[in-house]
Amino acid sequence: MSQHDVDEPVDSVDPGSNSSDVPMRPANRSGALLGLSIGLITKIVLLGTLNATSIWALGRLIPEGVWLGVVFVVVATVAIDVIYLSRARWSIAVKYLLPGTLLLLAFQLYPVMYTAYISSTNLGTGNILDKEAATEQVIATSIGSTESDVSFTSRAATNADGTLGLILTDDRTDPPTILLGTEDGTVEANDIVFDGDRVESADGFTALTLGDLADLESDFAELEVPTDEGIIRLATLNRANLVGYRLQFDPAVDAITDVETGVVYRPVDGFYQADDGTRLNPGWEVSVGFENYRRVFASEAIRGPFLRVFVWNWVFAVGTVVFSFAVGMLLAITLDHPDLRGKRIYRSLLIFPYALPSFLTVLVWQGMMNRRFGIINDLLGADIPWLTDPWMARASVLLVSTWLSFPYFFLVCTGALQSIPKELTEAANVDGANGRQAFRAVTFPLLLVAVAPLLISSFAFNFNNFNVIYFLNRGGPPIAGSQTPAGSTDILVSYTFRLAFESGRGQDLGFATAISILIFVHVALFSAWGFRKTARLEEI
Amino acid sequence: MFKRSKLLIALLMTLMLIAAACGSDSDSADSGTDADTETTESEANDEEADDAEAEDETADEPEDEAEEEAAADDEAMEEEEAPIVRADADLVIWADDTRTPVILPLAEEFGEENGITVAVQEVNFGDIRDRLQTAGPAGEGPDVVIGAHDWLGQLVTSGLLAPVDLPNSGDFSPVAIDAMTYEGQLYGVPYAIENIALIRNVDLVPDSPATMEELEQIALDVVAAGDAEIPLAVQNDPGDPFHNFPLFTAAGGYLFGLNDDGSYNADDIGIDSEGGLAAGAQFQAWTESGFLSPSLSYDVMIESFGQGNAPFAITGPWAVSDPDRGFGATGVNYVVEPIPPLAGTTAAPFVGVQGFMVSANAENPLFAQTFITEIMSTQEAQTGLFEAGGRPPAHTAAFDAAAGDPDIEGFGLAGENGQPLPAIPEMGSVWSAWTDAYALILSGESTGEDAFTSASDQIRTLIAEG
Repeated sequence: MSQHDVDEPVDSVDPGSNSSDVPMRPANRSGALLGLSIGLITKIVLLGTLNATSIWALGRLIPEGVWLGVVFVVVATVAIDVIYLSRARWSIAVKYLLPGTLLLLAFQLYPVMYTAYISSTNLGTGNILDKEAATEQVIATSIGSTESDVSFTSRAATNADGTLGLILTDDRTDPPTILLGTEDGTVEANDIVFDGDRVESADGFTALTLGDLADLESDFAELEVPTDEGIIRLATLNRANLVGYRLQFDPAVDAITDVETGVVYRPVDGFYQADDGTRLNPGWEVSVGFENYRRVFASEAIRGPFLRVFVWNWVFAVGTVVFSFAVGMLLAITLDHPDLRGKRIYRSLLIFPYALPSFLTVLVWQGMMNRRFGIINDLLGADIPWLTDPWMARASVLLVSTWLSFPYFFLVCTGALQSIPKELTEAANVDGANGRQAFRAVTFPLLLVAVAPLLISSFAFNFNNFNVIYFLNRGGPPIAGSQTPAGSTDILVSYTFRLAFESGRGQDLGFATAISILIFVHVALFSAWGFRKTARLEEI
Repeated sequence: MFKRSKLLIALLMTLMLIAAACGSDSDSADSGTDADTETTESEANDEEADDAEAEDETADEPEDEAEEEAAADDEAMEEEEAPIVRADADLVIWADDTRTPVILPLAEEFGEENGITVAVQEVNFGDIRDRLQTAGPAGEGPDVVIGAHDWLGQLVTSGLLAPVDLPNSGDFSPVAIDAMTYEGQLYGVPYAIENIALIRNVDLVPDSPATMEELEQIALDVVAAGDAEIPLAVQNDPGDPFHNFPLFTAAGGYLFGLNDDGSYNADDIGIDSEGGLAAGAQFQAWTESGFLSPSLSYDVMIESFGQGNAPFAITGPWAVSDPDRGFGATGVNYVVEPIPPLAGTTAAPFVGVQGFMVSANAENPLFAQTFITEIMSTQEAQTGLFEAGGRPPAHTAAFDAAAGDPDIEGFGLAGENGQPLPAIPEMGSVWSAWTDAYALILSGESTGEDAFTSASDQIRTLIAEG
């Protein structure tokens, strides 16, 4: 730091150096201890905390083998340290940008990339393991007791060398034979020590208590004792069974054979599959390229309701933005009137819908709108099919989503209105414009400059507003006779949810992410176009 | 330079806005597998059931355990995301809030006797299945889960469960063992059997109706006389294949045909069979006569019957034992009995079996197998579980001992006609399509035949689409 004092005069004329350098300088001048200012101390403490956190994170990430995370943490930490300690001029802009950029990478870009990656796989029910684990599981679940169905009382034991062994009591003979089983096979035990009925040791192998077993338990779970009759394997800690595996894996040819029928299963598209198409469960995750995307466009069944859903999705998103903006703006203008009393109370009350968790309020709306038992029909004494008639349901969804989002525009417009100079409207009035004309020519365009980007982001948000659609009516009422289950108020996200999670054979993450990516591209393109349009507004 | 940095900031803000706008879709896609409940870890001695209950958003919806769809509810309702981390113990069990306090003492006893540490982690019931899919392969999963038999399809197909060898399987109700068996392997130790039954308000209807026709007449008469508002309190919001199933079967329908080995055949869908279509027409007739009410939610069901506003309800033990609003708590004079037949055809409710399963990725599989097959399968343990949790035991002797309770006996009798809730993964397609069909019939948008024909087509399409 002391070298820095040399070029201080140069630095102090730089108009851009209003970052942490500024508070440091008076401290230097006043000759603070060792040249350390409060700003510098804060900086060191914060960077120290960051470095400590990073080291802690690395300690968690490295054992898990999350190498991408390790690289990110290391690069990000080093970059932050270097840039915030740097005094170079170029670093000033970067000081502002770096935290945002890193967060953007970690919490936005990475999930998007990961989603894109998943969309090229068959990940979903039946295909969530990797191939090795799936193979193991296929073999493991083909376990069965042999025809003789033999079970032994068993104790897990080790000898002085640490060899694992099973002390087995074979009840088929009278008196029972005590056998000692190891991975090499069984021998009849000779040197046996009993404790009551239980065998304590045999041929130098001493029985273990469960507590001793805690460390060795998984090794015993995999111990298989080969015999002429089959494999002896622990079923529980006290009991071993004579078992066989119906399926056997041959790594040399990468195929599984059914030892009873001789059928051979070979890996095809993430499953072991026989020539007749029979598949063994589970399968594993494989890349399927663009297959998920192809399905979205090529499958007649999925495409069926797609267009209706898509059109309604636009109507819903645009409608919500337009209505909530209109309501919010009108209320903001009303409450902006200088003569109005009790503004604060009104304003606080209006923010209520925004302050409550949306999925809770949506559930309350759902109850109120119930046709037979809901409070609205009860109070009106009417029988309005709020949620059961397709058109009424669409109107109800718009009503609820408008109710949820108008306070946002109310807040934004209130702020924006206050920043529009009153002189402008006064000038318009002097020029002979009436109130409405002044609003149209002056206030509204200026308001739009401030609010337009928010309208676009609100559109993007509502385009995927799963909460309102799903919790209000689950996308219903259903469309009668559609090829796949779809509802009149379903938007793309909720329709995807139905297809990927509520139907088929369980969850289909690959397919769901493919549709997500399509929605993402769609919304991103529209937003980019919208922002370009609004940039032009600013030139007014 | 100043200008350039401003440009950069603007660019960055734009990027962030776009990304923020689109963030929600990637979230929704992942929500199926991301582990996203807060877990309350009940390590050995300090039990935190109280805290946990407050956290559980679905606490007032206990019927979800039998119902597939409800799982989706929980899942979507979770707003917070925090991956589950395996508790640091030799034996880790995942159970929901109602079962954690029941399991905990037995698990602790097992741990103490054997000198190992045991932890019961509390996870929302619907989430146990979904989280096992991510946590299991990642090595953060439990050794034992308490789950429903109809999860087996998804869990076994995905390779997440280990087979269980249960020497005393003969001590259990055969339907429970069948339900826990998938593709010829036993995957769990059953502990409770649950099904829905007819609940009758004895003050309004003193004698049990012998037939469904009689039941309908009595119910409509009671409402016409002004003694009640709802003839039959059965959940349909907007449609409910699970609670309608006994009515559907009584009206002549079946869901899946059976293979030779007694398992369900997903290629034989009976919703649009002759009997199924007749059932559709019957539902339409019941809707038109006012016997079935549209938009009847669980809340309306439990409150209307609990307050004496309905002569009959069709629901499960959870609605009787609900501590606040349950029929036992409200003091309504009720009796639990089998659902009567229609035109001589038996009403068959779905039977759901709950049990202990071992994760294929268990860290300590032998402890897990020992605990569930040697400790939890005994009559004492099953009776203990019943006494603490009130769910009808799957162990035959334990059930007989519990049958002195008239509710348990009534549900048990109703369950004798039952069919196991299909565990095959194809059920995923059935729930959504069939729910829509019932909704369309009840709202009068479709005829019974049209709605069921369309639902069957949808189910076949969805199964073919995989």
